[in-house]
Amino acid sequence: MATKQAPTRQAITLKGSTAIVTDFFKFAVNTILYQRGVYPADDFHLVKKYGQVVMLTQDLALENYLNKILQQVQKWLVSGGVTQLVLAIISKDSRVTLERWVFDINLQNPPAESADEAVAAKPESVIQAEIRDILKQIVSTVTFLPTMDEPTVFNILAYTSESADVPADEWVDTDPLAIEASKSQQVKLRSFSTDIHRVEAMVAYRYEG
Amino acid sequence: MSNMPRTPARRSRSVAKTPLTPSLSAAVNSLTIASPARKGSKGSSKSFVGDITNPFFQPSKSRPTSPLKRATSGGIQVSESLQRQANAGVIRKGGIESRLDVITCDYRPPKPDMKRSKSQPAVIQRDRFITNREEQDVAATLELMHLNPRSASPGHTARLAEAANLPINKRVLAFHEAPPIPSSDPLMAQQREIVRPLYARPGALTSSTSSTTNKTRKVAMQPKRVLDAPGMVDDFYLNLISWSCLNVVAVALGESTYVWQAATGSVVHVGDAPEGSYVSSVDFSQDGAFLGIGMGTGDVELWDVETNAKLRTMGGHQAQIATLAWNGHVLSSGCGDGSIWHHDVRIARHKVMELLGHAGEVCGLKWREDGELLASGGNDNVVNVWDGRVGDVNEESRSSAKWTKRNHTAAVKAVAWCPWSPSLLASGGGTNDATIHIWNTTTGARLHSLSTPAQVTSLHFAPHRKELLSTHGYPTNSIMVHSYPGLEKVAEIRDAHESRVLFSCVGPSGDVVCTGAGDENLKFWRVWEVPKKTGKKAGKWYDAIRHDNFTAEIEKRTTKLSIVRPLQHSQFNVVIWPFF
Repeated sequence: MATKQAPTRQAITLKGSTAIVTDFFKFAVNTILYQRGVYPADDFHLVKKYGQVVMLTQDLALENYLNKILQQVQKWLVSGGVTQLVLAIISKDSRVTLERWVFDINLQNPPAESADEAVAAKPESVIQAEIRDILKQIVSTVTFLPTMDEPTVFNILAYTSESADVPADEWVDTDPLAIEASKSQQVKLRSFSTDIHRVEAMVAYRYEG
Repeated sequence: MSNMPRTPARRSRSVAKTPLTPSLSAAVNSLTIASPARKGSKGSSKSFVGDITNPFFQPSKSRPTSPLKRATSGGIQVSESLQRQANAGVIRKGGIESRLDVITCDYRPPKPDMKRSKSQPAVIQRDRFITNREEQDVAATLELMHLNPRSASPGHTARLAEAANLPINKRVLAFHEAPPIPSSDPLMAQQREIVRPLYARPGALTSSTSSTTNKTRKVAMQPKRVLDAPGMVDDFYLNLISWSCLNVVAVALGESTYVWQAATGSVVHVGDAPEGSYVSSVDFSQDGAFLGIGMGTGDVELWDVETNAKLRTMGGHQAQIATLAWNGHVLSSGCGDGSIWHHDVRIARHKVMELLGHAGEVCGLKWREDGELLASGGNDNVVNVWDGRVGDVNEESRSSAKWTKRNHTAAVKAVAWCPWSPSLLASGGGTNDATIHIWNTTTGARLHSLSTPAQVTSLHFAPHRKELLSTHGYPTNSIMVHSYPGLEKVAEIRDAHESRVLFSCVGPSGDVVCTGAGDENLKFWRVWEVPKKTGKKAGKWYDAIRHDNFTAEIEKRTTKLSIVRPLQHSQFNVVIWPFF
C-alpha cells in the first residue's frame, strides 16, 4: 500500500491506515488467543506476515466470528468512532475476567496538505517493524502472565463514541468486564502508529496477592 | 432543570488537586457544608446497599436512566435558604462566602449510627488514599459512577474524567454473539493420543503393518531365512555384506570374511584381517569372480572367489576403507580420511586416480552400471557425483566432482543408481536427516525428497519394478518399500532387526534382499516377485531371446504372428513365420 501522491492524499491513506490497523487487530487477537491457550494450539497454523511467522486460526467458526467483528471495527475506524478495543479473557465457568488486553486508538492529526513534501509518509516497513515488535512483545508476555489452567473464553469489547453508528442488532452495550483495581496488574506494551492512527497496547491481568 | 446548580467558576481547593477517589470525596464531604437529600431531586432513588464507603458504586449493573444529584454531606443542619445558596454554589452565611463544588450525584445520607462529627476520623478504618473495594468492580465509565456527564458542564466533566482516567462519552459494546467454543480439548489430550504410536519405542508397537492404501502389497513380515552372524560389527559407516551375481554372499564378521553359497548353503572362510585390525568393507566384482576386502588399516585385499586365494594387497590408504565399489577392472575405495582411490587391479601400480571431495569419511560409494559416473556419500553430509573416466595413469591426477550436493543434514551412506532411468540417483541421510533425495545427475536437479521416520542406512532400486527399498536404523529398524516416482509407502517391515539395519544387498534374481545388523543376524527377505514368464507370447519371446542371447528359437507353439523385438547385441532379425 504505497501512499499515492494524489490530491486527496489523506483520504487514501485513511483507508490504508484503517486496513493496517484492522489487520493488526486480527493478528494480535489471534496471537493472544493462541498464546493464552483460549483455543487449542493445533487449531492454528503459521502464516507469514509482517516479515515473521504468526499464528492464524484455522477454526472456521472463530475466523468468521472475528471477521464480522473486525469488519465493523474497520467501519468505525474510518468514521473515527472507536477509541478502544478490549480483548477480555474470562473463565468459562466462573465468568471472572482473568485478563484484559486493551488497545487504545488515537487519531493523529494528519499533516497539512501544504507541508506534505516536507513531511514524508511513514514508510510501511517502519510500521511493519513496529507491529512486529508489538506481536513479539505479546508473545513474550507469556513469561510473566499467570497461567490459566481453567478453560477460558474471550470477548471483544469496543469503546465507541456516542456519535458512532452502531448497528443495534449486532452490538449491544455491556459492562466493561474490568478487573478489580486491587487485583489487577497492568503492563503497558509497545505502540505503533501510522500517519493517521496511533495504537497503544496494554495488558491488565488478575493477580491475587 | 431548575434545581440544577451551576458549576462554580472556581473550584474549592480541597477538590482541585487530588484525584477524586470516593473516600476522598467522602472525606471532603465531611468538611463542607451539607444539606440533606434535597427536595425535588430528580430521578428515582436507587436502592443503595447503604454502603457509605462506596457512595459512587452500585452493585447492580444497569445503567442509570436519569440524572442523579448528589450533594455534599456533612453534619450541619441547613435551612432552606442555605440549601438554595448551596445549590447556587455560593453560600453566604454570616458574611462568609464560601464556594463549593456540587457534584450532581445521588446522595445517600449516612445512617445515624454512622454519623460522625467533623473531628473524628471515619469509623470505617481505611486509609484515605487507598480504597477499600470489595467485590465490586471499578467503574469503567462515568455512567457507572453515577456522574451524569450530560448535566454538568463539559469542562467540568472533562476534568473529572481526566482526573478519574475514564473514557468519556463512550459506550462499551460487545458483539451480540458469543465467540465459538473451542471444539476440542485445549490440552490436546486427544491429539496426544493419536500421535502416541509415533513416539513409542520399537517393540512397544503392535506388529508391523503394511500401509493401508489400496496399493498395499503383502510382503512377508518374516524373513525367508536367518543366518547367524556372530561378530558382526554394529558400525554405521561400514559395508559388510555383498551379494554376487553368482549367488554368493560375502559377509565380514569382525576380522574374518566368509562367503556363503546361497545355492548350497555352505560357508567358506575367506581370510582374516591383519593382526589388530578388522574388515571394514567387502564387495564382489561385477562378474562375481573377484572379491575386494577393505581393512581398517587402509589395505585393500583382492581375492579370487573360486580358488579362495588372495591375489594381492593394495595398500596406501591412511584410514579405514569403509566402502568399495567395482567397475570392471577398477576397484574404487572410499577411505576414512575422505579420499576415494581408483585401483586398477591389473597393474602393479594400482592407484590410478584419487578423488578428493569429502571432508568426512566416505561411507557410500556406487558406480553407475555403465561406468560413466560414480556417486559417493560421506560423513560430511555431502553427496558427490564424479565423472567415471579414470584419468591418466598418474598418481597425482585428481579431479573435482561433477555435482556436489549438500542438502542432507547427516551422513550419507545410502546411495543407489536407478536401473531403468540411468540418470537417477537416490541418496539417503542419517539420523539427523532421515530424508531420501532423488537427483537427476544430468542436470543436477533434485527431483524428489521423501522424509522417512528413521536414519537411512541403505537404498536399492527394485530391478523389476518401479520401486525403491530403504533400510533404516534408529529408531524404527525397519525396511521400507516406496513406489517410484510417487514415493508412497508400499510396504514396511518394522523392527526387521533388533538393532539398526545397517547393511543390505539385493540378490541377483531381484526378489530377495539380504540385511545385516548389529544383532548378529543375517536375514533374507522376499520383498519382490520375480517376473514370471507370463502366458503372453511377446513376453515369452523376449525372455527366450534374452536368455539365449544369440539365437531366436521360433516356438512352434506360436499360433499368431508376433513381432519380436530386436536384441540389443545381436545382429539377427527374426523372421516372422506365418502359421501354417
